[in-house]
Amino acid sequence: MATLSDISPRGSHWFTPAMGLAAVIALTAPLWLEPAGLYQYIGIEVAIWLIYALGFNLLFGYSGLHSFGHGAYLGVGAYAFGLYQLHVEVGLWGGLVAAMLAAGLAGALVGACVSHRRGIYFALLTIAFGQVFWFSAIKLHWLTGGEDGLLNIPRPDLSLGVVRVDLNDNTSFYYFVLIFLALTVLLMWRMVNAPFGRALQAIRQNELRARFVGYEVWRFKWMAFLISAMIAGLAGGLFAMAQQSAYPDVMSLHQSGLIVMMVLVGGGLVSFWGPVLGVLLYFLARDILGGLTETWLLWFGLLFVAMVMFKPEGLAGVLQDLQHGRRGPAKTSNPSLEVD
Amino acid sequence: MTYLLPHLFNGLTLGLLFALIALGFTLIVGVMEVINLAHGSLFALGAYFALTLLGGDWLLDSAVGQWWTALPLAGRYLVALVFAPLLAAAAGMLLELCLRPTYGKVPLYGLLLTFGAALVIEELIRLIWGTGEQHLPLPQDINGAILLGGIIFSKYKLFAAGFALLAVAGVWVFLERTPYGAIIKAGAHDSEMVRALGYDLGRLRLLVFGFGAALAGLAGIVMAPIWGLRPHLGIDVVIPAFLVIVLGGVGSFWGAVIAALLVGLSVGITGAYASAWSLMSMYLLLIAVVGFRARGLFGRKSALEN
Repeated sequence: MATLSDISPRGSHWFTPAMGLAAVIALTAPLWLEPAGLYQYIGIEVAIWLIYALGFNLLFGYSGLHSFGHGAYLGVGAYAFGLYQLHVEVGLWGGLVAAMLAAGLAGALVGACVSHRRGIYFALLTIAFGQVFWFSAIKLHWLTGGEDGLLNIPRPDLSLGVVRVDLNDNTSFYYFVLIFLALTVLLMWRMVNAPFGRALQAIRQNELRARFVGYEVWRFKWMAFLISAMIAGLAGGLFAMAQQSAYPDVMSLHQSGLIVMMVLVGGGLVSFWGPVLGVLLYFLARDILGGLTETWLLWFGLLFVAMVMFKPEGLAGVLQDLQHGRRGPAKTSNPSLEVD
Repeated sequence: MTYLLPHLFNGLTLGLLFALIALGFTLIVGVMEVINLAHGSLFALGAYFALTLLGGDWLLDSAVGQWWTALPLAGRYLVALVFAPLLAAAAGMLLELCLRPTYGKVPLYGLLLTFGAALVIEELIRLIWGTGEQHLPLPQDINGAILLGGIIFSKYKLFAAGFALLAVAGVWVFLERTPYGAIIKAGAHDSEMVRALGYDLGRLRLLVFGFGAALAGLAGIVMAPIWGLRPHLGIDVVIPAFLVIVLGGVGSFWGAVIAALLVGLSVGITGAYASAWSLMSMYLLLIAVVGFRARGLFGRKSALEN
């Protein structure tokens, strides 16, 4: 089985036909979404979730740190954006910076508590911290508005010198989010192929060995946690703009579990682009299956269970197998995914 | 003190029930090194099976159904108390069969698979029993309130606490005083050695999973009248159960029992002073304990840390 570590930073082309196709699809989305029977808003939602999933995979796929409470940072970002708009000023950049800083602060604190942990204990602690954030969001009524959340968050205009763009129009907001998505992709691609990203992958494969080689393992884990929380915060800020509200539901264990499912089903464990496939599959399933049957989540859950049982490498793993021709089961097993 | 007494009692009841859920959980973790995120869903399934056995609409039309619902509630309740956990055990065994491809890989896959299973079970419950909140009917004998020393106690909570205490004691006797218990404990300690001694490891795992699921189902039936029945009950319950075993130390019987009582009491006492925050206290308890003792109160090193 191929793993993330097998993706060479050099050697492969920096631009492949598939990436070109994806870029064309993303750029032309507002033109064909409605004729295809969908709606403009789904483009925004998918783009925001892609930012979130790509940031999450730095932690989940590359570092092998399985956070089950990541919705908390998305939620913190959304609340920070909303509170900034409602109580400080109506401003785009200030709000987004506030979202990233607040999520970063939360991530830095939690990261400091969990970075010395490994495996299931790491997952457990992230669940507990995620629940604390979720619970606080519901109970701190004076700050967060309780179960209803913050309502009527304005979408500030984008002002670039003399040009002012009204983001209340879903098409212009879509392109705005798309720019952030492109930046996230670039940042992540640079990061995972830089020495920092390589060190994270070394930690995933064998934490003890990475420590003996001389890396200060917990600091790398903490950094990965912090960065991925900040990106979740950015996604949260954009999500608050998109929804024009912020509510506790995004921080629940369910929602935090969904991002894990998306990233795993897409193949975040074996490919940089896995989370992209997973997010697309989830939203397509939600809108197409969801249109046909009320119980689409049941079918998505069954698909997920089958995926974990038979093809944990996800969609990206299936595509890789097709690309390399079916040579039966992989010859070399991946040491990081098996315990002896 | 008299002000606190009912809260302490509530906490103790909650703790005993948590212990019952956590024991099944910790057995499964111990023998299989699988964190079963669907454990709460098995708990919910137990409660819903009991609801159906007590007389759902599905059998009202048939002659057998009319004969059954005409029987006294107490008798039907006892039948449900026996058969609903068995049905939950069957569901648990099915889950174990699904888990087999993940053995020998990192524990994450077991966690992920059971998370998916929890989602599937929750949706199935919505599909079969509807999305609304439902209530489990109770026999007269264990319903209502009782006056003890000037304080009103819920009769049902006394029953639940006593029942949970008996069940926990039963599990202890089973594990410590029977040959089957010895095999299970040996399996938790070193499953390779158990296989080398000629025991069928596959069957042992299947049975342990079934046993754990039955305990979860039993706890579900006893807990349902206190917490109510709703489709997302599974997720609501699995988190406290989870906290309990991490707090107590994975795979430890007394760790699970003591941690469950601690969690129950902390929820009960917080409930006395700041009821809105009572559930929060257990997360803070976990973070405080695990911050200092990575493996919980009585934990030992396990493969789950890889």
